[in-house]
Amino acid sequence: MPSTGKLRVIRRVNLLISAALLAIASISPAFAGWGMPEPITDQAKRIQDLWVFTLIIAVAVFFAVEGALLYAIIRYRKKSDALPKQTHGSTALEIVWTTIPVLIVITLFSYSFIVLRDVEKKAPSDALSIEVDGFQFSWQFTYDLARLGQGQAPAQEGTFSIIGTAANEPTFVIPVGEPVEFRLKSNDVIHSFYLPNFHYKLDVVPGRDNRFVITANQTGEFTGQCAELCGINHALMRFHVRVVERAEFDTWVAEQVANKATVRQP
Amino acid sequence: MAAHAVATQEKQGLSNGMLGFILFLASEVMFFGGLFAAYFIARSDAREWPPVYLLTPEQVAAGVKLEVEFWLPFIATILLITSSVTIQLGVFSIQRGNRSGLIRWTFISIVLGLVFLVMQVYDYSQLHFGIGDTIYGTTFYTLTGFHGLHVLGGVIFMGIILARSLAGQFTAANHEAVEACSFYWHFVDVVWIALFTTLYIIP
Amino acid sequence: MTSIAIPRPAYAERPWILDWLTTVDHKKLGILYLYTTMFFFAVGGILALLVRAQLAVADNTFVNNDAYNQLFTMHASAMLFLFIIPVWAGFGNYIVPLQIGAADMAFPRINALSFWLIPPAGLLMFSGFLFGGASDVGWTAYSPLARSSGVGLDLWIIAVIILGVSSTIGAANFMVTMFRMRAPGMTMFRMPIFCWTMLVTAVLQLLATPVLASGLAMLYIDRNFGGSFFDPNGGGNAILWQNIFWFYSHPAVYIMILPGMGIISEILPVFARKPLFGYKAFVFATMGIGGLGFSVWAHHMFTTGAVLKPWFGFMTFMIGVPTGVKMFNWLGTLWRGSITFEAPMLFALGFLSMFLIGGINGTFSAAVPVDFAIHDTYFVVAHIHYVLFGGAVFAVFAGLYYWFPKIWGRRLDERLARIHFALQFIGFNLAFFPMHLLGLDGMPRRIATYSESAGWETLNLISTIGAFLIGVAMIPFIINVVMAFLRPKDQPNDPWEGNTLEWWTTSPPPVHNFDSLPEVHSERPLWDLRHGNAAH
Repeated sequence: MPSTGKLRVIRRVNLLISAALLAIASISPAFAGWGMPEPITDQAKRIQDLWVFTLIIAVAVFFAVEGALLYAIIRYRKKSDALPKQTHGSTALEIVWTTIPVLIVITLFSYSFIVLRDVEKKAPSDALSIEVDGFQFSWQFTYDLARLGQGQAPAQEGTFSIIGTAANEPTFVIPVGEPVEFRLKSNDVIHSFYLPNFHYKLDVVPGRDNRFVITANQTGEFTGQCAELCGINHALMRFHVRVVERAEFDTWVAEQVANKATVRQP
Repeated sequence: MAAHAVATQEKQGLSNGMLGFILFLASEVMFFGGLFAAYFIARSDAREWPPVYLLTPEQVAAGVKLEVEFWLPFIATILLITSSVTIQLGVFSIQRGNRSGLIRWTFISIVLGLVFLVMQVYDYSQLHFGIGDTIYGTTFYTLTGFHGLHVLGGVIFMGIILARSLAGQFTAANHEAVEACSFYWHFVDVVWIALFTTLYIIP
Repeated sequence: MTSIAIPRPAYAERPWILDWLTTVDHKKLGILYLYTTMFFFAVGGILALLVRAQLAVADNTFVNNDAYNQLFTMHASAMLFLFIIPVWAGFGNYIVPLQIGAADMAFPRINALSFWLIPPAGLLMFSGFLFGGASDVGWTAYSPLARSSGVGLDLWIIAVIILGVSSTIGAANFMVTMFRMRAPGMTMFRMPIFCWTMLVTAVLQLLATPVLASGLAMLYIDRNFGGSFFDPNGGGNAILWQNIFWFYSHPAVYIMILPGMGIISEILPVFARKPLFGYKAFVFATMGIGGLGFSVWAHHMFTTGAVLKPWFGFMTFMIGVPTGVKMFNWLGTLWRGSITFEAPMLFALGFLSMFLIGGINGTFSAAVPVDFAIHDTYFVVAHIHYVLFGGAVFAVFAGLYYWFPKIWGRRLDERLARIHFALQFIGFNLAFFPMHLLGLDGMPRRIATYSESAGWETLNLISTIGAFLIGVAMIPFIINVVMAFLRPKDQPNDPWEGNTLEWWTTSPPPVHNFDSLPEVHSERPLWDLRHGNAAH
């Protein structure tokens, strides 16, 4: 029979748990993607699946260990002056609790290795390829008219660029449903090209040719920013991407080309 | 010292001081390891070595040439290896209780060390590139410069040993500082052999 | 009971200020370390509060971008180089010779040098604020950015080199002390676990710190003598700095946490009245962490595209295994114990529950594709604070409450300690748990401000409130210490019924530490004396 004191404690704990659940429920719509923002590329979806898988294991481990800790704290409070049994260890247990983490990490490693291989696939040679120049403190996105992707015959020679400033954040445009390659360049310091909805970032390193590929699977406008400290206005190195249907993309390119100011002949 | 020796277990082999000194040398190895890593990464990044393609027209016009002299450093290397032998002969002398032998060999080692330093400085003055002339100049002067500082440190160390041996502080039973000094000098020597091989011999 | 008599040396009396300035006594140096590092903990904490004040609301202009970069750089530099790393040297200085039954460290004068390098280095690092701005490139000082930053960074480089020398010679000192000066009967595998963690830490410091020094020398040459180490235009390599830096700084993470694990492993057995479960497994796990610590540095660099990702991902996962073993051993120690909840134990249990999170949320970065998402975001900030605050800082306070009666011979008040613990525990979680969510949602670290449209305001505000609550939590602690100093030195040799030799001598111990030493037959010599060997 629990004492009334104990009952009161249990009631309080119940109240606390319900309050916590309520709090979680109230903020959960904001974190529908298991904490991550909406994935907008095929690659991001794979990474999110890996994240969810890892998170489930992590949460399970957390509750198991934290639960055991709480149990031990409550159950084995000092009740008498009698000495507890002096156990110095157990080789069998040590082997078990070394093996279990090894199995868990091998599982996680294998899965993450597969995802890594898939998200780092190279771009097909006819894919749209955009050169991204990071500089203190904005971005320049350069399109090569000969590499606009999707079997489009090269319209003409030359390039055009979207150039931002810290005050005037650049917006670039990509088509949905086809691979797009980003080639990252920097001439000053290291930046990092990070778009949360890609679930991906890659550093923009002077002297390195870093590139990656995404295939967007939905349209919309999304915001990214520099993720590597690059100086005083690092926080203002934001950019926007508009993902649109192919036809709209072609129209946009035509507009850019028509605006001769941004087109440079080779 | 007696106060600190209390409650310690007397052990065979290395003394505490010698063990501590060897650990210090281990940290020195890691320091040079970092510098060597930088050098080899630079070499593996470069299309050719020396990386003459990196020179700007201004540097070329100013007469920058990424070339090192061979024979002078080669002679310096021989001298440094010799000094490693002579300091060891000093250690052997005092192990037999021969104090004048220790004084003589230490003095010779100091002279050899100083000649090495003079030759290195002269060699620097003859080169047609500076520390700012591409990664080649940067790594060259950084590696040889830090080594040179260690040679200088070793010469000072040997100077202290010389002064102490002139004051009659070392005997066949008590000459740990001499051995520590010889360890240090051998270490400096080995680093130089590695440096000479990488900077002057490997094309 | 048998004991070994030790002859007592004579001492000369000196004025106390001269005595403190010239002391080579490991106990006095230990106390100087603790005062100095706690001072820099306070300074780093104030900087953290300024950082949090700036981030409390969107588009804030409390400090400008330039000042903000200096604030977070100096916060991390103070906390890592001037607090966490040397605070362990402080505990180690005071406790290690006592625990192994030695009269002092192996090299008392080098020990004094190790300490006296720290205050000038700290002042040098902070003097940047007087010369046009302190270092503003983050404690990681990534190049090429760091090639062009102001003079504050030169001061920072020199300060960190001096601190590196301090910790390198300190490491050699600890190693020789533990290898050569243990009490009769104390084999390596009877050495207290805190000593073991200090030993492995010393090995890491001895081998890793000089590599950082070489990198700092290169950075200094690049900045001041026109070098090209990190300049691709001159044939250098922008990633080289990161490789060198993390080759030091990843082992340094273990330098910052292993001694804390050691303190926890001293406290749990005392207050659960059982031996540490799996002592040898724990020692091997500590060595395993130390060894693996040298093979995981590039997991800080997955997004550079310049490292072998699967290898470093695998090794990073693997380092979770010995860490897990330790966690299970701690649980095994509590299991079927007879647990009481004095202040040291509260903080030790706080360490267990929080470090667990810091261990688990670190594994996400080992899954390389997930790291692409969370790298350089607030998720990583949450991770390091769960390890270094939830882990290391809780362990620092556990150690302070545990050894306070030994070091100062006075009692700390339990009630104030409980208030301190509760406030710190709540404040800590409020401050750092929301950072997980911010990071996942895409908030990069080290940004001076964020736009209102990003939707990060609520969580940042919660985090700021939590940070200030941590600040408030220090008030009962300070009151507690001040009140303790007003009380008489009345503590017995062994107020907690401890297991290890430091509890054999008086509180505080005499200059020569021990008048006699008991025989050592296990890693718990005092337990054996109290209960007899039959209790095993």
